[in-house]
Amino acid sequence: MNEPGIQTPPVPWWTAGILLGLVQVLAIALATSLDVSDQFVAVDARTLEHLAPEYAQNHPLISDEEHNRFGYASWVGVGLVLGACLAALHLRMWKVRAATIWWQQSHEGPVVLRLIAGFGGGVCLLLGAGLAGGGITGQFSTGWAQLSLSAVPFTAAVFGAGMLVAYLVYPKAPPRNKRGP
Amino acid sequence: MAIPFVGIIIGAIFGASLVLTGLTDPDRIIGSLRLKDFHALRTVIVSVLVAMLGVWLLGLGGADHPDIKPAAILTVLIGGALVGIGLGLTGFSPTTGLACAASGRIDALVAVIGMFFGAHVYILTYPAIVPRLEKVLNYGQVTLPQLTGTSQIIWIAPVFAAGLVALVLTRRGGSGYSEPRAKTENLGLSEGIAAAGSPAIATDGLHAVSVFRLWKNSLFVVLVLALVCLQAIFWLTNTGQVQISRDDVSSISTGQTAAEEQPSGSATMPTRGPVLPALLPFDLTLKQITLVIHAVNTILVFACVLYCLTAYMALSVSIRNRLGGLTHISRTFYFSVLALILLLPWQIVLAPVGVGTIYTPHEMAKSCTTLAAGTYETVLFYLRFSGIWAAVCLVLTIAQWRSFRWTKTVLLKYEDTGRHIG
Repeated sequence: MNEPGIQTPPVPWWTAGILLGLVQVLAIALATSLDVSDQFVAVDARTLEHLAPEYAQNHPLISDEEHNRFGYASWVGVGLVLGACLAALHLRMWKVRAATIWWQQSHEGPVVLRLIAGFGGGVCLLLGAGLAGGGITGQFSTGWAQLSLSAVPFTAAVFGAGMLVAYLVYPKAPPRNKRGP
Repeated sequence: MAIPFVGIIIGAIFGASLVLTGLTDPDRIIGSLRLKDFHALRTVIVSVLVAMLGVWLLGLGGADHPDIKPAAILTVLIGGALVGIGLGLTGFSPTTGLACAASGRIDALVAVIGMFFGAHVYILTYPAIVPRLEKVLNYGQVTLPQLTGTSQIIWIAPVFAAGLVALVLTRRGGSGYSEPRAKTENLGLSEGIAAAGSPAIATDGLHAVSVFRLWKNSLFVVLVLALVCLQAIFWLTNTGQVQISRDDVSSISTGQTAAEEQPSGSATMPTRGPVLPALLPFDLTLKQITLVIHAVNTILVFACVLYCLTAYMALSVSIRNRLGGLTHISRTFYFSVLALILLLPWQIVLAPVGVGTIYTPHEMAKSCTTLAAGTYETVLFYLRFSGIWAAVCLVLTIAQWRSFRWTKTVLLKYEDTGRHIG
């Protein structure tokens, strides 16, 4: 799990941006946005329906079919995992890793701390995405593409909190030779 | 059956794109949040701008499927802050977390498990908290143009400008590719090569490479902007946003009015009305856009010729100084020539056999106001105005991609030489 350095992305930033933008346009032209954060809630809702049917029936969120059905977004999630895995294998970027360069630079403890931070971060991510009605893809990317009002406060909150937390958690920047390609 | 298939295909393309663009690397995300490495930020800005323009064009054609999230300001702010905390802690978003886990990251896998737990917490706390919070400052599913009662273009222009400003401001922070470039330009590599006494590699060649690269990239940006402008004008005209009278079409082609020209074949041809209601806050006439089309056409021809010449000069410098990357720069040159061939208005001299991306105002106005006879004619019409345009964009992108590979090869070669010397 050694990290020799931050990997160089296969394409430069502008090509990457154009590519991602066109994928979003394609998604909106064919069906709807690419947000998959709802599907975490849908999976949990379905699980609760099986484990505690009475609770689920009276729950305002789970009983709402919009929040507990598997549909297009679920298949997007499946495709996302498949596509990312195949692309990583094809580009020889598939590698088992547990920590990041930034984490190793700022924290000398065992890698399990990174995993704990990952778990905590994951909880915050989905709790936040649920409250906001979408994650980075749904609220920020697709939101700005459609010029929706909700994208404005969401962007301010995400970048404000994200920059503050990153500054506190990752105080030491890795040296240039590790950061660059 | 269609929904799973479309979903999986779109998801697979999206997942592969995330890996390809480097957004699955949490170090890049953290680097952007710490304002040290702007690769991810610049990528996201460009993607948002492209998506915004694309969605706008889709909307003009009525082909979009909008998914506007409710603007409950308080819950969006709290939720956004929580997403920001998660992003700052892990370097993943829910989407990139899944893609990262699929590419072998154990920390991402743990984060995905955390996301399921977070979703569970959300479900458990929902009845007591969320409905109350959602009522505070809830504007509903509304867009900025709808809220202000203005046209979409009024908002697109400043957002696009802000995005460009952000790209300029983050230019020096490093995009991940800046390091070898900086080394070369800051004489580190040049000195290393000079110290090595390698006569085959001339330091002048390095300076030439950086000059040609700058010009080539600038010309590419100009070409892309001009092409987008040309296509936008076509769609504005095709969707009825530009006022075209029969007199306009006749006067541009012959300098006469339609009344003087009667009876002509075109006067009896069936015409079609505007496809969409007026979306622009101001009136746009054919005479106004004629000037723009002529300017854009001129810019396109000059920029593409210069692009070809720059690619040729870069190829020449590569050969003479043995800089390497000849395969890439040769292909850049041939693709740029191909783009020029596709761009030139061959219909003026070779009609009806040849046709090019560049169109004349009269040609476009006549085609856009004439009702197509059938499906075949409609397909030909869109192939002529959008198909060739897309082909030029593709060829230019390939040329630029190859030139990027050439630059990278040259710089890596110098870096390797310097390291070997060191």
